[in-house]
Amino acid sequence: MEDKDISYLNCVHCGKCLPVCPTYRISLNEFYSPRGRVRLILTDNNDVLPLKVSKVAEAMSTCLLCGRCVNICPNDVKIGDLIINERIKLNELQDNKFSLGAIALKALKNKRKILLKSALKIANIPIINQLNRRFVPNPQGKAFISARNYRFKADRNGAGGKREEIRAGYFSGCVFNSIYPQISADTVASLVKNGVSVFVPQMQGCCGLPFISSGDISSFKDLALNNANAFKAQDIDYIVTSCASCSYSVNKLYPLYFNKNDEGYSEVLNFSKKLLNIWSFFKVLEKKGIDIKAGELQKETDAVFHIPCHLLNSPEFKPSSYNEGLIGEAGLIVDKIAGLKLKPLKHNYCCGNGGMFNIRHYDLSKEITRLKFEEIKEAFPQNILTSCSGCMFSLSDQRGILKEQQGIPVNHLISIYAQSLKE
Amino acid sequence: MNQKLIKEFEELLGKNRVLSEAEELLCYSYDATSKEFMPDVVVFPLNSNEISNIVKLCLKYNTPVVGRGSGSGFSGGSLPLKGGVVVSFTKMNHILEIDEENMFVTVEPGVINADLKSYLAEKGYFYPPDPASYEFSTIGGNVAECSGGPSAVKYGVTKDYVAALELITGDGEIINTGSKSVKDVSGYNLTQLMVGSEGTLGLFSKITLKFLSNPEANSLILVSFDDIGNGFNAAISLLKLRNRPSMLEFMDKSSIESVKSYFKSDIIKIEGAFLFIIEADGSRLEVGESVAEYEKILKEFSPVFLFSSGSEEEKRVIMEARKAISPSLRKYGDLKINNDIAVPINKIIEMLSFIEGISKTYNVPIINFGHFGDGNIHVNIMLNKDDADMVKRGEKAKFEILKKTAEAGGSLSGEHGIGLEKKEFMKLKYNDYYMNILKNIKKVFDPRNIINPGKIF
Repeated sequence: MEDKDISYLNCVHCGKCLPVCPTYRISLNEFYSPRGRVRLILTDNNDVLPLKVSKVAEAMSTCLLCGRCVNICPNDVKIGDLIINERIKLNELQDNKFSLGAIALKALKNKRKILLKSALKIANIPIINQLNRRFVPNPQGKAFISARNYRFKADRNGAGGKREEIRAGYFSGCVFNSIYPQISADTVASLVKNGVSVFVPQMQGCCGLPFISSGDISSFKDLALNNANAFKAQDIDYIVTSCASCSYSVNKLYPLYFNKNDEGYSEVLNFSKKLLNIWSFFKVLEKKGIDIKAGELQKETDAVFHIPCHLLNSPEFKPSSYNEGLIGEAGLIVDKIAGLKLKPLKHNYCCGNGGMFNIRHYDLSKEITRLKFEEIKEAFPQNILTSCSGCMFSLSDQRGILKEQQGIPVNHLISIYAQSLKE
Repeated sequence: MNQKLIKEFEELLGKNRVLSEAEELLCYSYDATSKEFMPDVVVFPLNSNEISNIVKLCLKYNTPVVGRGSGSGFSGGSLPLKGGVVVSFTKMNHILEIDEENMFVTVEPGVINADLKSYLAEKGYFYPPDPASYEFSTIGGNVAECSGGPSAVKYGVTKDYVAALELITGDGEIINTGSKSVKDVSGYNLTQLMVGSEGTLGLFSKITLKFLSNPEANSLILVSFDDIGNGFNAAISLLKLRNRPSMLEFMDKSSIESVKSYFKSDIIKIEGAFLFIIEADGSRLEVGESVAEYEKILKEFSPVFLFSSGSEEEKRVIMEARKAISPSLRKYGDLKINNDIAVPINKIIEMLSFIEGISKTYNVPIINFGHFGDGNIHVNIMLNKDDADMVKRGEKAKFEILKKTAEAGGSLSGEHGIGLEKKEFMKLKYNDYYMNILKNIKKVFDPRNIINPGKIF
């Protein structure tokens, strides 16, 4: 971690960040805007005006950390990082042990077997059920990783003949392990069919995003170190995840919050460097001259791809097809699926999930999801695809929000790809 | 008294449309200037009757009332100088009616300029006024400040598009001005009086705007010169054409530097000291012809760099860079004195060389860019907040520049307004008699001086 971020001093209040902020777009109230939050952080740091902790906490906790404001800020104000820092500070001031969010977090951080039952536990927390809020769907079958490490051998026949073996680790993240285990199975199957050997260590756990975004830096660091260690001993060149939020946490936040003096600094940095989201990984394979296997769907269909806010394309990425132009690196895989037609979304709004945001501010979250479905309705697709656990939650949970969208399937693009390879 | 007023607002609008906690009010204490004033309460009306009732309550409690859109102004127009009530128009953001036969659209003041543009563009229409803030500033704010942008050189500014207004006066009365007829001389032209009145005469509740047909195509040319005289003469030649450019923006060396990262080096390499961004629009055929003609003329003035953009991506990059100049200047100083003077086009060179001299005399960096085609120059004096002596020198530099502007027959503000930022300079241009006329006009609409007091004069 570098010196304390003081980029809030760069804000000139121009207002450019207002319309891109999901919570401002819904509330139209600057208290829920990036510019307002930065202003509160400035005042809080200068101590010129006494601010109520609970009120500042409200402004900070309603940020989804989607990063849209950061991307367009002409003065490089690192709004997301500033908000996380403020939450770390507030976390020390406030006693949140009994809040709904804290209980969910506790469930995620089961120290002994961090991953195994964690997400299942959230789904079954009695308090949450009592509130009758289905923000976590029931698990679809048994968890992907259960009792041991797994190794999947590359399918060398189907992978364009002889070539060097590529070995990758698979980082599932909680949700794709416990709630949607099929997505993990589909990811691994797609890798194997493209000639990649996959190692899945049992001891991997939560990526830590729910913790750092709640200001709990010590749990975040514990989890980061645990993950780095889980993959450390293995001779693998890449670690792949199919969850956009996990890759955001590992690629962006791990380097930001680990100091040179921290235990496991180099392991964590090494893990962070090796980890790629699944679409970037396929682009790496393509660059190595590997022909990504093409599949075909039995029945032609069309879809929109909801681009997760946390989906990071490689910095040097330049679209080389129509589909890549629409949705970035994931477009490569759409190109490989015969029978799948991609429809554009007009604004690429946020889905409203934001991880813990959805748990803490369910009503606001739903309003943002409604806006998302308005644009989906305009495209009128047969399927909704995405590649992030949080987005999967909100899009599935709220698909009934508009009459026209009732029952529309929500899937991870990798599952459609895996299906097309089978057929 | 304050608590009572807040309670009455809550009864009128409901609790969720009234903000009164300090943390919330702090988020309404600023705009894009570096000045700040805390309001006592922020309210969110949904229609003209509510605004009327808000003003009447303010009269009852003798409290100032200030309208606010996105708070992106450069002259302090939406700042509650004397505290009181901020009326946020953000929830009045509906397009009420489109009249395609007469080509007028009626909107609520909180509609974002860009949202109106894209709504009309989908139907094949075009709303030209394009302040650099158009992606986030509101139509209400645009009308109050008479905003303009690069397209002014061909299409004019906000005042050229406002046909009719509904507004609430300082008495809390609702009045309607103007009409959809092109010809309308029944009484004084109050509509045009309201445009650019900086929110001091009333609060707008409905705005009827004229629109045009969308030009079929457009194309951009980037051209730069080492010699300012050559650049100037080249630009003048383009303005004389029957098919004059729809944009003629200039950037000096420092402003080019401030946004250089936007021009990805593999697309566009910028050289030279003085850069123009030129746009041609019209039918495909016209655009092709104009670009060829512009290029031919520009080449006669020995440019050091000439680039015609082919792709949408290049055009987007160029315009993103142009829009980013103003906020990006922060690297030259954390306190910006932002002047948007406008002078007759043939005075631009004289003005720029005068400004260069002032920059040396007072030892402050001054960065210039703006709308060459309409003589509107953004003169940015960049200072360090903590350096009191430098701030003083900056203020003196500003005075000299505005004085020279008035002498050159120019305007103290092309598009930002006077607001708080320039009111003490009005006397450079107007005498007491003239200023009294302005003050008396305000009295007619706002006898108790509660609507945005302390602005302009």
